[in-house]
Amino acid sequence: MSTDLQWLLIRVRSIALKYNSFLVKKVPEGPTFSREPGNLLNLHSHKYSGLANAKTIDIQNSESGLQITTKKSKASSHAVRPARTTSAVRNRSGGRRSLGVVASLAKKGYRPDLRAAALGRTSALLATQKEKKASPPKKVRGKKAAASTA
Amino acid sequence: MASRPTVSVQSVSGEASTSLPLPAVLTAPIRLDVVAQVHKSIAKNRRQAYAVSEKAGHQTSAESWGTGRAVARIPRVGGGGTHRSGQAAFGNMCRGGRMFAPTKTWRKWHVKVNQNQRRFATVSALAASALPSLVLARGHRIEQIAEVPLVVGNGAESFKKTKEAITLLKALNAYTDVTKVSNSRKLRAGKGKMRNRRYRQRRGPLIVFNEDNGIVKAFRNLPGVELVNVQRLNLLQLAPGGHLGRFIIWTEGAFTLLDEVFGTFDKVSSYKKDYLLPTAKISNPDVTRLINSSEIQAVVRPAGPKVQKRPWTQKKNPLVNKGVLFRMNPYAKTLRRQELLKQERVKEQKEKKGKKAKGSSAGEAFLNTLFAP
Repeated sequence: MSTDLQWLLIRVRSIALKYNSFLVKKVPEGPTFSREPGNLLNLHSHKYSGLANAKTIDIQNSESGLQITTKKSKASSHAVRPARTTSAVRNRSGGRRSLGVVASLAKKGYRPDLRAAALGRTSALLATQKEKKASPPKKVRGKKAAASTA
Repeated sequence: MASRPTVSVQSVSGEASTSLPLPAVLTAPIRLDVVAQVHKSIAKNRRQAYAVSEKAGHQTSAESWGTGRAVARIPRVGGGGTHRSGQAAFGNMCRGGRMFAPTKTWRKWHVKVNQNQRRFATVSALAASALPSLVLARGHRIEQIAEVPLVVGNGAESFKKTKEAITLLKALNAYTDVTKVSNSRKLRAGKGKMRNRRYRQRRGPLIVFNEDNGIVKAFRNLPGVELVNVQRLNLLQLAPGGHLGRFIIWTEGAFTLLDEVFGTFDKVSSYKKDYLLPTAKISNPDVTRLINSSEIQAVVRPAGPKVQKRPWTQKKNPLVNKGVLFRMNPYAKTLRRQELLKQERVKEQKEKKGKKAKGSSAGEAFLNTLFAP
């Protein structure tokens, strides 16, 4: 079955006919988001949909590092688990390597239209991995400072 | 079409063993509007009649007092000695009166749906259950299973024990869908709690079998799991709530029987008289493929140059921007210059006059008295 038709079946947005358990419509008149895996921007749209596309890129954080899951382009349309392939970027390899690995997908011609979104998601995920800097100690001022020195 | 797609049969231990051709039903057209509407009507066929009591609100001998008593002419309860006497009765606006248009048990509870529509909806729902994206979108946890439709060997039909059933589902990586159901179990809101609908929970996998050699008893205690014979497939189970994409686990026997139960696009079903599967309006719904096909590309005009609305700069307002104004109306420059020159001339004239009449016209003595302290 074509992905165009699948998108038409999944996309229904009205609340009465909600066919998609991944939909998130929190803000009235606001954007419609999607929780589905493989959606790089978490936006409910055909281009970014992780379900209604023959090729998708899924980037997640995991224990072992950045996990990049793609759909095999030659897989049967009925396959679920075997249709996916996962690779990981080790934790200690930094941003340059991770971004390079993600960009290489587009370079090889696998969803080049998703390049910017994939890189954006990667750097956002890398940013979450960074340990937060401890805030500098509070300076005591005024009366309290006088009291502490005395 | 290159070759007929096949579906592998998972053995009872969870490995793919043999493969079967995909039944024609699973490629039938999917119409979510038909499914939703037929479901809406079919779901009404299990309702029980209810109504308010025939006598409610009419168990008094009230009569109107007529005019002249300075009260409304609604029937009033007669007699004395109790608060009820003199109170209005019967009307839907009265306390203790009957409701407006009391409900009757002879309301039209059931809805007839044409047989072909019912079959179309069932077939649509079955076809939708063979697409991983739709099953995922319905909320089933099938990320780890091998394939949709999921077919298991006939050995499962002779399972006697739930323990066996659980091991099978775990081997197929389908047990997460059952876990999802048992985690979702919540106390129902409202009166339904006291009407044998105490809990509400999600739906799990639907198991379709051909012959019950114990499979029903083995699986039926698992939360959310439902079982049905291939020949008794029901839209209410295939598309709960009218939503497409139920997760279905087939036994091999049931799966091979599908072509007989529903027929194919050119072979009549052997169980439903003269039934052929509905055909899709277009044979290839892949729009991208259609657009890029050589037949279409041969007749379309070549794409024109890209038109940009603001190629280099933003649009400037000629009333504000002088450069743009002078480009549009060269005389405006002369006009402006003349205006400026005129202003200068007027200013000069004024200054000349001002030099002549220096100071105030009022006399010093007058001003002194005016500003006297």
